[in-house]
Amino acid sequence: MSAALALAIFVAAYFFIATEKVNKVKVTLVAAGAMAVFALIPGSDVFFSEHEGIDWNVIFLLLGMMIIVGIIKQTGLFDYLAIWAAKKSKGRPYRLMVMLMAITAVASPFLDNVTTIMLVVPVTVVICDRLNIPAQPYIIAEILASNIGGAATLIGDPPNIIIGSRAGLSFNDFLIHMAPIVVVVFALFVVFTRVLFRKSFEYHPERVAAVMALNERRAITDPALLRRCLIVLGLVVVAFSLHTVLHIEPSIVALVGAGVMMLVSRANTSDVLEEVEWPTLVFFMALFVMVAGLMHTGVIAAIGTWAIDTFGNDYFSAATALLFGSGVLGAFFDNIPYVATMAPIVEGLVAQAPDPATGQALWWAFALGADFGGNGTAVAASANVVAIGIAARSGHRVSFWQFTKYGIVVTVLSMILAWIYVWLRYFM
Amino acid sequence: MQARDIAVNLPTVTADDPVTKAVRVMAVGRLPGLIVVDDAGRPRTVLPGTQVLRLAIPESYQADPALCRAVDESHADLFWQELGNLTVGDCLPSQPARPVLVQPDANLLEVAALMARLRSPLVAVIDRDGTLIGAITLARLLTSLAVVGPGD
Repeated sequence: MSAALALAIFVAAYFFIATEKVNKVKVTLVAAGAMAVFALIPGSDVFFSEHEGIDWNVIFLLLGMMIIVGIIKQTGLFDYLAIWAAKKSKGRPYRLMVMLMAITAVASPFLDNVTTIMLVVPVTVVICDRLNIPAQPYIIAEILASNIGGAATLIGDPPNIIIGSRAGLSFNDFLIHMAPIVVVVFALFVVFTRVLFRKSFEYHPERVAAVMALNERRAITDPALLRRCLIVLGLVVVAFSLHTVLHIEPSIVALVGAGVMMLVSRANTSDVLEEVEWPTLVFFMALFVMVAGLMHTGVIAAIGTWAIDTFGNDYFSAATALLFGSGVLGAFFDNIPYVATMAPIVEGLVAQAPDPATGQALWWAFALGADFGGNGTAVAASANVVAIGIAARSGHRVSFWQFTKYGIVVTVLSMILAWIYVWLRYFM
Repeated sequence: MQARDIAVNLPTVTADDPVTKAVRVMAVGRLPGLIVVDDAGRPRTVLPGTQVLRLAIPESYQADPALCRAVDESHADLFWQELGNLTVGDCLPSQPARPVLVQPDANLLEVAALMARLRSPLVAVIDRDGTLIGAITLARLLTSLAVVGPGD
């Protein structure tokens, strides 16, 4: 009975999250409250159980990175880089697109996708307006690049943070297992964009002077601040890569990094904390409680048992189903609640694996599917929604289908490449 | 004195009006802000003057002071021309602030406290159906307070 009630609350909440009929933070808070009120999860577990309550490692890792990014975005670095790239490209469309994609894809693994997009899209709009060319293809290419690039690291994409915490995977694990395929997919994507956007490329040589008039040096008002911020960010990344040696959780690394960043930048605390996306953090907390309700009432275990019975010892089929299933579901629903729900189920499957390497392969298949699935449609990932919103308010409307027709192609290609990678690396 | 006693009729705009019209309405009427109403005449949001100015700044520049600095002077002088045909609705935030509203029987302390709390120099006065019946500007409120207050 309690399992049915927990499932009913969860499905109802998921319906409202997926259809966006009600603000998703409100939905998850009400659902989490219902789980607690109906005693579907003990109150003590909500706050103090790492696996059947709120995963504070995820929350504080996100909080720390939001503070770090909030300070870095004030430095003007992205405006400098994008304008510099536009000048170097001399307005030639493919060259410009590749440079903007490269900036986005290199930043995404270290900053979160949404922030990267919020920094790159506005300057892209300005550059395209100066060149009198449509900004939509460039914005779409940047979104796709950010979702691909973000898959490379533990901190690059929220699904990776959830998976890393649940599976106990380190920053280096992600670098070793995810980064190689991300590099390959991104390289092929760069080549492919020449074909994908060929009809959208316009070149107006007479407009290049307007771009050359932009002064990228003025974007950076405090080079010393920029240097200090980059040094701290570099140290944070080094600390992430050493966190298993230092026996420090990634969340602690991020929090210490945030504190140091605030000290060296001499930023106003209130201003920096305003940059934190508090609704997102509350959404994550409530989501964890919802999933914990399913775990505590045995729903997750029942699904896990069904999955184990279905796949038996055929872990390659399980990895294939996880990769493509996550890609398809992640494309049509927000991939964060999807990953939060599926992670305990995958954990159950991994626990039955004959050896740790096979078990880990399932995690990588899951992460690749969820991350690359974020490119599938206009609503699949937060970065997509944010970028399309900025584009619309700038007068460059990107319709659902305009994005999706490119997104689906890139998602299918990247998932096929990921599947081949998983097969060759873990099951050959 | 109550809100209805000092409320005046002010021009309004709808979400479908071009931003350029909204700016013009505010400038010509020397208004401290604008009330955006829906088709039924109910206030959708009340924008202080600075937020009307915000509508006129292209989205790309709004949250990015570094990008504003990088723009050359000749283009910076003409930023508002980049708006094109964007409407007020296009430029409103996805979750606009709740309209700054009072009932007709609100006292002047209520109105003043609301203006101060929400940093809005303009308050919409609505009837029970939510329809706009007038507006109170900061100048109007201060004048009214001065009139009823003890003289020097």
